[in-house]
Amino acid sequence: MSLLEVTGLTAGYGQARVLHGLDLTVEPGEVVVVLGANGAGKTTTMRALTALIPHGGTVTFDGAPLDGLNPAQIVGRGVSLVPQGRGTFSHLSVLDNLRVGAALRRDTAEIKADIDRWCEVFPILAARSGQEAGTLSGGEQQMLAVARALMSRPKLLLCDEPSLGLAPKIVSELFSTLGDINREQGTALLLVEQNAELALGLASRVYLLEVGRVVASGDAEGFRADESIRRAYLGL
Amino acid sequence: MDIFLERLFDGITNGTVYAIMALALVVVFRGTGTINFAQGEMALFTTYIAWWLTTQGVSIWIGALVAAIVGFLLGAVVERTLIRPVRKRNDMATLIVALGLFTGFNALAGLLWNSETKPMDGLFPGGQDDYVGVGGARLYFDALGVWLFVILMIGAVFLLFNRTRLGLNMRAVADNPESAALSGVPTGRILMLGWGLAGTIGSLAGVLVTPLSAQQLSLTTMFPILIYASAAALFGGLDSPIGAVVGGLTIGLLEAMITGYVDFIGGTLPQTAALVVIVAILLFRPTGLFGTRQMERL
Repeated sequence: MSLLEVTGLTAGYGQARVLHGLDLTVEPGEVVVVLGANGAGKTTTMRALTALIPHGGTVTFDGAPLDGLNPAQIVGRGVSLVPQGRGTFSHLSVLDNLRVGAALRRDTAEIKADIDRWCEVFPILAARSGQEAGTLSGGEQQMLAVARALMSRPKLLLCDEPSLGLAPKIVSELFSTLGDINREQGTALLLVEQNAELALGLASRVYLLEVGRVVASGDAEGFRADESIRRAYLGL
Repeated sequence: MDIFLERLFDGITNGTVYAIMALALVVVFRGTGTINFAQGEMALFTTYIAWWLTTQGVSIWIGALVAAIVGFLLGAVVERTLIRPVRKRNDMATLIVALGLFTGFNALAGLLWNSETKPMDGLFPGGQDDYVGVGGARLYFDALGVWLFVILMIGAVFLLFNRTRLGLNMRAVADNPESAALSGVPTGRILMLGWGLAGTIGSLAGVLVTPLSAQQLSLTTMFPILIYASAAALFGGLDSPIGAVVGGLTIGLLEAMITGYVDFIGGTLPQTAALVVIVAILLFRPTGLFGTRQMERL
């Protein structure tokens, strides 16, 4: 059984519908990437899955429906989102950001252990632990946002364009860390990206989105090899 | 010298009350992004409840406790039923609801307890001889009691914000509601608790200040205090609890000194003086002394 099973997902803003019946699945421990141009509906998909906006269609996670839950309840079920751009609390210290990430947990000792773990994975967070998040650089904030999302110990981590606005060196570091997390923790990843080359290196499967629909899908290897897809959609 | 000291004591006493009223405004503003103009009248209503209980033979301490609890419930219920449904539409709608509540609670208090002025017991002994001499000036016990009470309350609020999980969640929701929700913080419940907390703080401010006020308990008791508290919150920065305290004390001292030493203002124009302070601060420093957030929502 799939970890995440999305069938006929529709969503939009006010009268404007952005997603027109989207199907996708994520298996336990898998890395899946959703590619697509600006306006294809990538961010809308992420926001619909985490109940930041209402949706139609059905979303099943870990055998039970997510439809009708609020964002906090969805976190409780094991889905965590790193939103696009600023996913941090800019006036809270780095340490407090991580503590908020564990808002639903009651295992104080384990929370401390997790904070230590992510500070080891992202050493810059340890160095800046008392600083307000807003004073961090873009790359540091993105790492903090990822660590904050991981503090709820999700089974599925959603990342909305984690590479946006970051220097290439930082991006490749971040992606290799995401790969490590996937291997070591078994956390499934669903990434939305414009940086196709990098994302395809990390993912095992790909969905290609165009105006709110999946127009192609398959395994990442095949996508990289397919000349027509490369030229038409990926700009490689 | 002794007159100066007495004015200083008066200024501190009023200032501490403005400070906690301003703190109530700040708690709501941080969470909701609006100034709750009804905060003063909600406090007036619960102060009437405390007064009414004393007329039934109940101790004022119990009355204050009941006022604090009713204030909490009132704040929480108002947020859940009136503010939340309109908040997402626009900020003007929230403002209109707050103004409606302002007149509503005032009218309700008038309806239940008529508009006559009512003398009210203080929490602390307030007799003619209940004072200690300081440098020739009299420091009355009731003023001293208010100082201590307010210091304890401010301490409690700071501990809540900085040492508890609930406080951390409140700060997170104030900072970035969406990421707070994505972290599993129940944002709706946190906002409701914030309004409840503000209701409690306001109610205690009302019970503390009314017995010291020249006009005791009447339908207009809380309005000038809300004006001063708004000035204090703006002065300190609307999203800063420390700013609220510093702002409250500053406004209280300014009021005491201006009315005491500037003849043409005397006892009739202090509110105008406070409003001039608001305007001046907004002109030169739109975020206030300790504020961080741009106040575009106003």
